[in-house]
Amino acid sequence: MPDAPDDGPYGLYIHTPFCETKCGYCDFYSVAMKDRDTAPVVSAIIAELRSRVDEFGGPVRTIFLGGGTPTVLPTSELSRLLDLVEDCVDVGSLEEFTVEANPATVDDPTAKTLVDHGVTRVSMGAQSFFADELATLERLHTPDDIAPSVETLRRNGIKNINLDLIFGIPGQTAKRWTESLQRAIELNVEHVACYGLTYEPATRLTAQRNAGTVIPCDEDIETDMFVQTREILAEAGFVRYEISNFAKPAFECKHNLIYWRNEPYIGVGPSAAGCVGRRRYKNISDINGYVRRVAEGGRAEAESEELSRDMLILEIILMQLRLVEGISVASFQARLGESPFSVFGDTPFRLVEQGLVEKSDTRIALTESGMLVANAVMANLAAASGHVERSLPIIPQ
Amino acid sequence: MLSFPRTALFAYDAGLATWRLLFRTREAIPSQTEVRGRLAVPTRFDRKVDMADLSLIRNFSIVAHIDHGKSTLADRILERTGAVTARELRAQFLDDMDLEREMGITIKANRATVPYKFEGKEYMLNLIDTPGHVDFHYEVSRALAACEGVLVLVDATQGVQAQTVANAYLAMESDLEMILVINKIDLPAAQAEDRALEAEQVLGLDASEAIFTSGKTGEGIDELFESIIKNIPPPKGDRNAKLKGLIYDAKSDPHRGIVCHTRVFDGSFKRGDKIRLMACEREFIVTDVGKFKPKPTSIESLGAGEVGYFFAGIKTLADVNIGDTLTLSANPTDELLPGYEAPQQMVFCDFYPGIGSTTDQLRNAMETLWLNDSSFTYQTASSDALGIGFRCGFLGLLHMRIIQERLEREGDVAVMQTAPTVTYEILLKDGTITKIESPSELPDLSHIEEIREPFVDGQLIVPAEFVGAVMQLAMDRRGRHKKTEYLSPTRVMMTYELPLCEIIYDFYDKLKSCTKGYGTADYHMKDFEKGDLIKMDILVNGGPVDALSVIVHRDKAQWRGRKLIERLKKEIDRHQFEIPLQAAIGAKIIARETIRAFRKDVTAKCYGGDISRKRKLLEKQKEGKKRMRTVGNVEIPQEAFLSILDPED
Repeated sequence: MPDAPDDGPYGLYIHTPFCETKCGYCDFYSVAMKDRDTAPVVSAIIAELRSRVDEFGGPVRTIFLGGGTPTVLPTSELSRLLDLVEDCVDVGSLEEFTVEANPATVDDPTAKTLVDHGVTRVSMGAQSFFADELATLERLHTPDDIAPSVETLRRNGIKNINLDLIFGIPGQTAKRWTESLQRAIELNVEHVACYGLTYEPATRLTAQRNAGTVIPCDEDIETDMFVQTREILAEAGFVRYEISNFAKPAFECKHNLIYWRNEPYIGVGPSAAGCVGRRRYKNISDINGYVRRVAEGGRAEAESEELSRDMLILEIILMQLRLVEGISVASFQARLGESPFSVFGDTPFRLVEQGLVEKSDTRIALTESGMLVANAVMANLAAASGHVERSLPIIPQ
Repeated sequence: MLSFPRTALFAYDAGLATWRLLFRTREAIPSQTEVRGRLAVPTRFDRKVDMADLSLIRNFSIVAHIDHGKSTLADRILERTGAVTARELRAQFLDDMDLEREMGITIKANRATVPYKFEGKEYMLNLIDTPGHVDFHYEVSRALAACEGVLVLVDATQGVQAQTVANAYLAMESDLEMILVINKIDLPAAQAEDRALEAEQVLGLDASEAIFTSGKTGEGIDELFESIIKNIPPPKGDRNAKLKGLIYDAKSDPHRGIVCHTRVFDGSFKRGDKIRLMACEREFIVTDVGKFKPKPTSIESLGAGEVGYFFAGIKTLADVNIGDTLTLSANPTDELLPGYEAPQQMVFCDFYPGIGSTTDQLRNAMETLWLNDSSFTYQTASSDALGIGFRCGFLGLLHMRIIQERLEREGDVAVMQTAPTVTYEILLKDGTITKIESPSELPDLSHIEEIREPFVDGQLIVPAEFVGAVMQLAMDRRGRHKKTEYLSPTRVMMTYELPLCEIIYDFYDKLKSCTKGYGTADYHMKDFEKGDLIKMDILVNGGPVDALSVIVHRDKAQWRGRKLIERLKKEIDRHQFEIPLQAAIGAKIIARETIRAFRKDVTAKCYGGDISRKRKLLEKQKEGKKRMRTVGNVEIPQEAFLSILDPED
């Protein structure tokens, strides 16, 4: 069966699991720094990186150093990590090298370290321009930290900056949200990611909501915010290319596009995931176990699976439909040897009638109103894929 | 031919919290006095291998309330007599169906012939084990017709319960010798003497003659054997008379066709004999005769007074009438045994193919199961909402569950089931009477003179302190109080007339909860009664969903309608549009709810590390969707169709 080649080019995700403190809404794997010795973890990440890069061999297209907050690492540790990344990867030929940062964690030496090591893009967790909202989210920075941090990055030569913003924060009004958006626009960043606040299982925020101490934003208000976001950002020259992501032309995040297009990537570090060909793995989410297992010379994978046809179809629905460009018929055929129209039967047509999906010979994509109810559309397509008899494989050109 | 005036008896099951119903074939069971009277004086016969002296044979059965330890006691009997070696004795040897063993219940009557030495003579004791669950009470009737005596088993901690009474009455009507057995005397909470006195009061059995046993430790088993031999009369019959045997059960053997269980009253037969099944007027050549010891063991011949089995090249259960009279073609008897009528189904529901199964697969599974167990009925049904399926009739709710379970297990099909309903009798304006098994079969109202619903006589045995609560419950269920009797200063038997439809859903659970678990109940079918009944439709998004329609009492319609749509509101997910839910009688809306539309349902972020978890969620949604039925534009999950089962939370 035709498949994406196993030997790259691929994206590389590196997970540093440290934050200053853990935010109430966050469900990424991270631990509070405190007086923790980060060196063994950084060493283990480097060891895994070497081994993974050796295994996969092919060229790396993009790097995304995320977490956690990579910029909370002591500058010496951050340098050590980036030095070794340079050792393993031809950083000069990367299409994009992103590092995640938080406002108030970026000073001139840090910014310079990043630029010196080939980092081209910084994604900053601004979240909100209102102090009370940041407090609700348990963020450590203040609204006043955001602009100086952006300036610091600019001053040191970062030409591609993303700001993460969150809407639907308890107590937030639509007016407040548009103000935060405007403030981000005024900072002249190239990319904005706008996430509806999600009550993830097993987070403090969810516990507070369940206990009634946090009252979630009204669904109608949140819906209005979702709609406003695109309108306001469009006016400022940002184009939506994914449900939550907006970019000025040519500034889409190339690394994240790899995920959303189901293209190959490897992940290193605790809790990092990778998927190359049909093999998907995810590392364990425990720094001690991670360090131990890597030190023993092995992989620290918690799960590893060979994606079946059905699973691959689900992943394509789950990821590609998030993109404005939608599911690519050609890539679907290339990966699966069958047409999405034969797999999904008449369901896409039904969804088109309902105004949730638009389709052409080359694409199946969500409409604007389809995006609002993306989960329901995905579930419908997923259910359709389970019913259809397997058609004969179509040989791709 | 095999038709008798008959009352149906309902009862229910403590362990599974389900009402069951069964039929009591008062006239169907041959009165033993009658049978004995008709039989000639026994004469001596040649003693050959397996040809027993009638005076050394005892045919008996055990009746009890569920969980009073019947199967365990049966195990002890088998063990003590050496009929089964310790290695062979799995717990409850007689419950040989997987499902029976798993659920800890007996569904089909079982049997074993066990030898027992007493005072220098070797007796043949034929134990015919009976189901304790009264959904299967017709099986008890069959078993009793093959016996001369019964052990009435009472739990020493719980005392006489509703099913004890019902089963003992059956035995009394059959004029059988009854031995009172107080079981579980090993338990610390046992009040053996008191329980015996209580049984004397309720059932008229002599407490001083009671046998005290423990199925667990084996205590009292020898006394029990002695009592069986002394008190239960040996069978009468003439081995040299014309063959007359009762087919009291039949089962399908995958390799050898149908095996008939028979009790011979007169004469004898052997392999090679040409036999005649009198009621269905068919003849077969006997290919094997045997006894259950308890494993089937071939013997030379089966004669008067004995219980055993035979094979005769019978292909399907449809070729045998349970209750039929067996005789020899060459020298037939003139007398037909009373026999039984087929059990009558009173609870109905639809089975539709579930996830990943087709109507054809379901049909095949039902055909196969029916050949093995014809106690349920089925016929093709169709629903606008659910497509093509089968309308099935059951003896009770437990029976329904067991059939569904067996279909899924033995037939490897997924079964989706609609809420059960009872049979209604419709008197039309033109004077004709018709019966309907589903609200959708209800004729146009303009043609209906009256709708009649089935009523039962219910006996509730409860601790005296809960009488008030139980009266309230019965009243809520439109019950009519008949009488209240004190079984002892602390226990009361209350008799009510109740509409069957009010008790098949959750009456038993309610009874249990308002009596702290101590109440038991039993009921038998009384008759059909005119009721102020109406059909209530449920409209989802403006359209009626046929599979959700119910027939209800007018006084209860509002309440039921409200509860039902409240439940539906919980079961149906929000859609992108608002969904009105309405309960309607004709054009009149009596209750209304709205499922609010969702405006936004989108996952904010999904990156590499999130994929496997989010994919698992999607996978679950995908499976959930497969179990849904789309009616109009609304996806209704399977659970919603069962919401009428339990209108209360």
